[in-house]
Amino acid sequence: MNTNSNVYTVVYTTIIVVIAAAILAIAAMALKPKQDANIKAETISQMLTAAGFSSKEDLAKLGNDQILKMYSDNIKTAFLIDAQGNKTGELETAVNDIELQDNLKVENKNIAAGDPSLPVYVFVKDGAEINVIPVYGAGLWGPIWGYIAFDADCAKIVGAYFDHESETPGLGAKIKDEAWFREQFQGKSVNYGNPERSFRIVKGGAPKDDNAAVDAITGATMTCNGLDAALNTWFRAYMPFLQKKAGAAATEVDDCCGGDCCSGDGECSDCNHEHNHNHQEG
Amino acid sequence: MNEDLKKTLLNPIFKGNPITVLVLGICSTVQLKGALVMALSVIIVTGLSSFVVSLLRNSIPNRVRIIVQLVVVAMMVILVDQVLRAYAYSIDKQLSVYIGLIITNCIVMGRIEAFALGNKPIPSLLDGLANGAGYGMILVIVAFFRELLGSGTLLGFRVLPASYVPNNLVILPPMALIILGCIVWVQRSIQKDLQEK
Repeated sequence: MNTNSNVYTVVYTTIIVVIAAAILAIAAMALKPKQDANIKAETISQMLTAAGFSSKEDLAKLGNDQILKMYSDNIKTAFLIDAQGNKTGELETAVNDIELQDNLKVENKNIAAGDPSLPVYVFVKDGAEINVIPVYGAGLWGPIWGYIAFDADCAKIVGAYFDHESETPGLGAKIKDEAWFREQFQGKSVNYGNPERSFRIVKGGAPKDDNAAVDAITGATMTCNGLDAALNTWFRAYMPFLQKKAGAAATEVDDCCGGDCCSGDGECSDCNHEHNHNHQEG
Repeated sequence: MNEDLKKTLLNPIFKGNPITVLVLGICSTVQLKGALVMALSVIIVTGLSSFVVSLLRNSIPNRVRIIVQLVVVAMMVILVDQVLRAYAYSIDKQLSVYIGLIITNCIVMGRIEAFALGNKPIPSLLDGLANGAGYGMILVIVAFFRELLGSGTLLGFRVLPASYVPNNLVILPPMALIILGCIVWVQRSIQKDLQEK
């Protein structure tokens, strides 16, 4: 047979390509559920790390099932909000059908378009609520994203976790690899007074009197700039929700200490105690 | 095993190593664990691609043989990537695009062109596996030194005392080439016949 004729060549390549495509399609379909489960567990373990339930290293040793269970055991509620900070839907949190809003790339576009559907994950740790929100943006080589955990009234950041697709190892990749970078965020707050620039990652060191700023990483200027932009974009999108939370918390404390609920001694001293506590930390 | 097959299998690992002697397909990782997985992936891809192309070798139209080889190699690489994503997600995440880049590794196409097109399937399979192993061995040696000196750990376990200050130079890409140079140097001083006059 003449293997160099045009007809033979066209037929041959067509058959080879169809066979290869069929094999790949079958493999992709067969492996998809397992891959999706991995991605889901990975996303959840990033949230759990940000919220301070465990460390990424410890979670990596657990199976997917255990990670899902840990999530389900510790979460109170998860819901979606719109650009005005109003609740628009619930996310299922039961262990067998956990729903996540994890297509951050799409939401990042929606934020720009002014019509996002943003997730808020509310965990409970030691009796206190922790609100976890995602951030997403562009690093130097590819996307970077992360999860930021706020305390119950969104006044303080209690933890953060960042990840990236392809930042330079030893430089930009430090946003994920270096614990000190993430730990800096603990105790910081978002500057509600300046929604356009509510948080800063400062090259050369954050000023000591600015509680809405952290140090940048040496040699990773582009990645840090990207993360800075990501944080500001997403904090801006969440701002109505965060401010509502912070506002509600402030009125609650005021109401309590000025009003009826303070009739009992026990509650009143609780109030004072909380006030003092806030004062010390503030 | 007959002598020819044995030679096909052993030659690429040391004497005709694809990286240090043929100088094909240089590529590197920082972590030993990543290197082991990468090595295994390359071994599977080179072995199976050579095998499949060798099966097809008499039917492939000569004018489009590179394209057909590429289709086979790309299919193998995507399969490996998909399997890793399902069963070794954290490592796949770490290696990210580099698994996909096995397609462009010259060793794969080089061995198909040089060996699989002119030999029977079984020797081709062995040749592919052995060349992948030769590549993998160098990769693992380089990653061993880079992880040891760059982070003071091996496979994630701390080996050097905590007082050791990690050498950041070792983590940067140029150091991989310097280590590779040292390996070539060691090999050529052992095997005098490789030295150019």
